[in-house]
Amino acid sequence: MVEAVRTQGLFKRFGQQIAVGGIDLIVPRGSFAGLVGPNGAGKTTTLSMVTGLLRPDGGLIEINGHNVWSDPVSVKAHIGVLPEGLRLFERLSGRELLLYNGQLRGIPLAEVGRRADELLRIMDLVESQDKLVVDYSTGMRKKIGLAAALLHNPDVLFLDEPFEGVDPVSANTLVEVLRRYTASGSTVIFSSHVMDLVERLCDWVSVMSRGHIVAQGPLDEVRRDRTLNEAFLELVGARGNGEEGLTWLGSSTA
Amino acid sequence: MVRLFVRLKLRLIRGNLRGDTIKQLGFVFSVIGAVVAAVAGFLLFSLVRLAPADVALDIGIVAFTLFTIGWILVPLLAFGLDETLDPSRLALFPLTTRQLAIGMFAASATGPWPLASLIVLAGGVVGLASGLGGVLLGLVAVVLQFALCLVASRAVTTALSGALRSRRGRDLLAVAAVFVVLLFQLPNLLLNRGLPGEPSKLLESAGSALRWTPPGLAAHAIADGGLIGVADLIVVAMVVVVLAWLWIAALRRALVTPDSSNQSGGSVRRSRIGRFLPGGMLGAIVAKELKYARREPRGRISWFTAIAVSGIIMFSLRGPGGWQGPASAIAPACLAALMIGLQAANVFGIDGPSLWMNAVAFATDRDVRTDLAGRHLAIAIIAVPLLTVVSVVAALIAGTLPWALVAALTAWGVLGVALGVGSVTSVILPYTFPDRLNAFSGAAPGQGGQAFLASFGAMLGTSMIALPVGLPILLGAYWLCVLAVPYGLLIAWAGRRLGASIGFNRMPDLVAAVSRPT
Repeated sequence: MVEAVRTQGLFKRFGQQIAVGGIDLIVPRGSFAGLVGPNGAGKTTTLSMVTGLLRPDGGLIEINGHNVWSDPVSVKAHIGVLPEGLRLFERLSGRELLLYNGQLRGIPLAEVGRRADELLRIMDLVESQDKLVVDYSTGMRKKIGLAAALLHNPDVLFLDEPFEGVDPVSANTLVEVLRRYTASGSTVIFSSHVMDLVERLCDWVSVMSRGHIVAQGPLDEVRRDRTLNEAFLELVGARGNGEEGLTWLGSSTA
Repeated sequence: MVRLFVRLKLRLIRGNLRGDTIKQLGFVFSVIGAVVAAVAGFLLFSLVRLAPADVALDIGIVAFTLFTIGWILVPLLAFGLDETLDPSRLALFPLTTRQLAIGMFAASATGPWPLASLIVLAGGVVGLASGLGGVLLGLVAVVLQFALCLVASRAVTTALSGALRSRRGRDLLAVAAVFVVLLFQLPNLLLNRGLPGEPSKLLESAGSALRWTPPGLAAHAIADGGLIGVADLIVVAMVVVVLAWLWIAALRRALVTPDSSNQSGGSVRRSRIGRFLPGGMLGAIVAKELKYARREPRGRISWFTAIAVSGIIMFSLRGPGGWQGPASAIAPACLAALMIGLQAANVFGIDGPSLWMNAVAFATDRDVRTDLAGRHLAIAIIAVPLLTVVSVVAALIAGTLPWALVAALTAWGVLGVALGVGSVTSVILPYTFPDRLNAFSGAAPGQGGQAFLASFGAMLGTSMIALPVGLPILLGAYWLCVLAVPYGLLIAWAGRRLGASIGFNRMPDLVAAVSRPT
């Protein structure tokens, strides 16, 4: 079986600091995969390298068996990306952003328009489709970003913190869309540190800590008989339990 | 409270400099600049003493007024440099409005430039005062004038701080900043064309008009030194108090008014240019660039600046000592083309952090070439009619309309060359446009050198490559202008090819270079 994503010894350093220390990330095709880890574990760096936005210092990346960096033609048409930080074309309206993105991918304008209208409806953005993205709220930005990433019907979707700062209603919409998408056999990889969400959605988990993958596999194998949160805290070596110091904190009964 | 705020300000200045050599250097230069300005300003102002008393008074009045205007305008244009300017940051602390007002007043008086302006104002005492009364009243007047500057500046920024934090407000201000910069060019232009009247007449009328404004009253009080001076100062003091009261009222309102920065703006009209554009990637990029030229403040600014500078060039090249004959039409048009072409020296900069969206879609260097071509086409759609107008106007000013044809053809050619050179500099020396717009900086912190090299390199490269065709035309081989457009198209095409093959391999670095935090 060909994995949707496979890296071998993927390595990146920024100056003295090793951000990603030679990881072998594996995501089977058709899975809803979660990439979890504490802040600074290297999740964003990994996703940036896998999607061709950051040049790795070493290692191999394959998506559907094609090398991302030596064979971009076979890769780029088949991936969708929502990077961190909601960096979108701010001075386009939501609809224009989708049209631009679709045309950039070589889809005929009429088809792009049809898909954009449907996506806007499902994402509940019809009312604000003609407002500039710069005036969108965080949840709206995530939704329009996801719509833009889905527009060309990619095989593999990479999402960096898609649920961060999103209100429950919008999050529910995002989840519904992603569930339908993976049910058809496409692959989603998303990074998060909300364990409940990962546990609820994912069937495959990779746990990163300090630039390394410390556990990887089907959800049930990684968490065994614990909750994912407990397994995660154990894997990344949780520090301190917050019981020392801070004696002054809290209301006193004296 | 005063000491606390002064220390807060000093700490903010220090914290801002920590670990950043370029900022530290910048600060050192700023301090040196302030010291030089203080000393020079003080001395110059003292020298006013040598002038006849009434002229000296007029100079003093005008100078004091200019100071006040400067104090109001500069913090507005450079809003964001000073965190103590934004009252909403302090809203959560348990402070009364009065404490806040006194504290912010103290904080805004702290720093090299406020101290420098106090020293320069003190020069007015040396320059204008006569006798002991003048000196005594002068010292009071200088302090009052300084307070007037601070309070006026604070009152305006506080009243506008809500608007300044909203997106539309900032967009508007960015464009306004350019107007102000151009306004400073106006005297220059007038001097070039000869003043309408005698400078001394001008000074006298300005002096008598401004005599009754608060800064004018302060200056007059120093020169007068008697009872009228005291009366002047009482009026100034009252104005300061009223302004301070207004400021406190504005402050109180700003603290409880919701942050308007998250209110969404209105809808945009769906554009209809799309149907005239080619389909596919090329058309998408042209449409996006045209929208950005209209909606992004930076786009508006650069086009507006290009037009204004072309106008200035057109008028200042005229007259004795300037170009004669057809060259007086060709040279302004070519300079305008160069100015517009310089916008393309960092074409990816306007996308900023959103460039990744193109980067994840581009699979071959052909895609990058299409991207560059789309951007060039968008620039050309605006620039070609513009250059035509410039050529016609320049030819009309020069006196012979047919020269417009030569001028326009040559200018279009120069534009092509500039675009070609720009596609290479865009991929070799990309840099981030700063997010917070102000009229005084062109690049993200730490990329100033890169930005300078890119625009200087583009200018030099364009001039060099345009020379083989441009120089003979300027020197009189006018028939060569039929070659200008093909030559420009050729260079633009070659530049796109070279730029795309370099740029495609550097795409991740390019995205990183234009997405720097600012």
